[in-house]
Amino acid sequence: MFFKRQIPLLIVIGVGLLTLFGRFINNEAVRGFVSNDATQWFDIIASFAIFLGALNMLKLQLIKIIKKQKNWQYSILAVGGFAFAIFAGFFYRGANYITISDIQEGELTSVSGIIAEELNESNPFNIETKLLDSKDAYEIDKIFMTEGNAKIFMEKLTPYVDTITLNSKPWGAHVQTKGSLFYWMFINTITPLGATMFALLAFFVASASYRAFRIRNFEATLLLVAGIILMLGRVPIGNLIPWWVVSIMVMFGIGAIAAPFIKKRKVLLGIVGGGIIIFIIAGTLMGWNQTPPAFLSIPIIQDWIFAFPAMAGSRALMIGIALGIVATSFRIIIGLDKSVLGG
Amino acid sequence: MNNKVIMWSMLFLILLGLYILGEGIIFVEGIRVKFAAILLVSITIYYYIDRARSGEEIYLRTIPGLKALEEAVGRATEMGKSVLFVPGISDLDQVETITGLNILGHVAEHTAKYEASLNVPVSKSIVMEAGRDICKESYLKSGRPDLYSDDMVHYISDEQFAYAAGVNGIMEREKPAACFYLGKFYAESLILAETGNSIGAIQIAGTGSMAQIPFFVTACDYTLIGEEFFTASAYLSKKPELLGSIKGQDIVKLMVMATMILTVVLNGLFQAGWISFDILSYL
Repeated sequence: MFFKRQIPLLIVIGVGLLTLFGRFINNEAVRGFVSNDATQWFDIIASFAIFLGALNMLKLQLIKIIKKQKNWQYSILAVGGFAFAIFAGFFYRGANYITISDIQEGELTSVSGIIAEELNESNPFNIETKLLDSKDAYEIDKIFMTEGNAKIFMEKLTPYVDTITLNSKPWGAHVQTKGSLFYWMFINTITPLGATMFALLAFFVASASYRAFRIRNFEATLLLVAGIILMLGRVPIGNLIPWWVVSIMVMFGIGAIAAPFIKKRKVLLGIVGGGIIIFIIAGTLMGWNQTPPAFLSIPIIQDWIFAFPAMAGSRALMIGIALGIVATSFRIIIGLDKSVLGG
Repeated sequence: MNNKVIMWSMLFLILLGLYILGEGIIFVEGIRVKFAAILLVSITIYYYIDRARSGEEIYLRTIPGLKALEEAVGRATEMGKSVLFVPGISDLDQVETITGLNILGHVAEHTAKYEASLNVPVSKSIVMEAGRDICKESYLKSGRPDLYSDDMVHYISDEQFAYAAGVNGIMEREKPAACFYLGKFYAESLILAETGNSIGAIQIAGTGSMAQIPFFVTACDYTLIGEEFFTASAYLSKKPELLGSIKGQDIVKLMVMATMILTVVLNGLFQAGWISFDILSYL
């Protein structure tokens, strides 16, 4: 219990206080620890911990396959994907590249032509220039996933080049090398799958907006009115809406907001209709066709909503969140809140 | 003024004095105001913790989202379905994740009490280990260690959308009756909450991620907005010292409001040329 509770608690308190007050101490070692070392320690521990997660995932999927639980077929895909990622990351680099030197006399054009064809380069002259510029060996700008493919290409060059070397990118760097097996897997599976999930957001936003914008009460009405103005104000058509259309919209908005408080429909209709007529007459007399007032311009109203009421609300929320984080951190640092250590 | 206020005020002044004396030698120059602010916030919160420990009654308004926690677990039990708890996609270095895990402890106590099945998919291994410890403790506290299994807290993926897809899959297959989203969330928040909504689960969300709050408000039955989320641990545990820290936090908020108003007034007077003291340059 001592090692499971007291020691972690001491570490939490010690590192917490050091991080909190370390920034005020005029000592490079302390500040270096707070700014860099401590976060690097966290990254190292987290990197090791990932094995725990991976093994847990593998264990659960294997149990599902062995016991043939519901939808166990999908688990085969999960285990297969896991095995393939491990293979491409740890056992098979698939990041071969070729370097050439000592091109035979008068064969520069032929060599650049072969390389350009392999690289799908339309202008072999670019390759020729690079070959001339390279002082030592020239590295062909292509990664071969298999050694076999690389050797086939090397055979094409052999009659014209004296020294051809087949190399591999170093372990670790191969996962980020464009053209390697791991990179291919990432670009062709993880990226499109992630993009698909992200794209789903568009549909979810639509269904969530529909629910949020349904007029149920005063707040929902305000949200609807503000939402419509913001949407119109952010698109080019918002600039083209004339002042009298905006004034009608404003009166409808006022009517929607006032509706829950006015029981007699005829009175409500009178307010909205009368307001529209007054607006249009006043606007025509005051020459708003030539110079419309700012408060009837959708982009300006949109800017105002964004810069004032929305900003004020979000900042109030932000201050609350920041203070919540401060108080929670303080409780943890002084060892008052030990729930994160298991109760 | 009571003795404790005088004592804490003296301590504040002494520490600030020591800082000023040691500036440039032991302490960093030019961040005196920050140091004073941290000291003031810490002392204020600790003062109220101390008062709560001494037996002072702390009033906490009802937070519907937290009140509904037990109701949601009860509903899942009645329907014979599971409870899904999502602690966000961040690691344990985020306070939101820690707060989410604190609430997980309380949810686990209820699932143990009602014998409902609990499913906690996580996206970080350290969170998985901490979550297991917390659930184990809660099941033990509820007197049902036999119902606890390590696999109820399981890892899915570190990748944001792979994790979202995994959790969505669980929702679609198992159709949990109660879904909790308590932690740090990013773009996956709406994907999760809308899927939960489509399966008819009762949903309770809470996050400190500003941009995700509107999505949760729209799609969930209850949302712990901003600071409500961070008070959850104190609210649910009802421990006086934790409740005291909430009151301290509110007093600090009051101080922040007063400072903001004072700054606006002083800066207004400075800009009008009525005073020569520029508060902004000092801050």
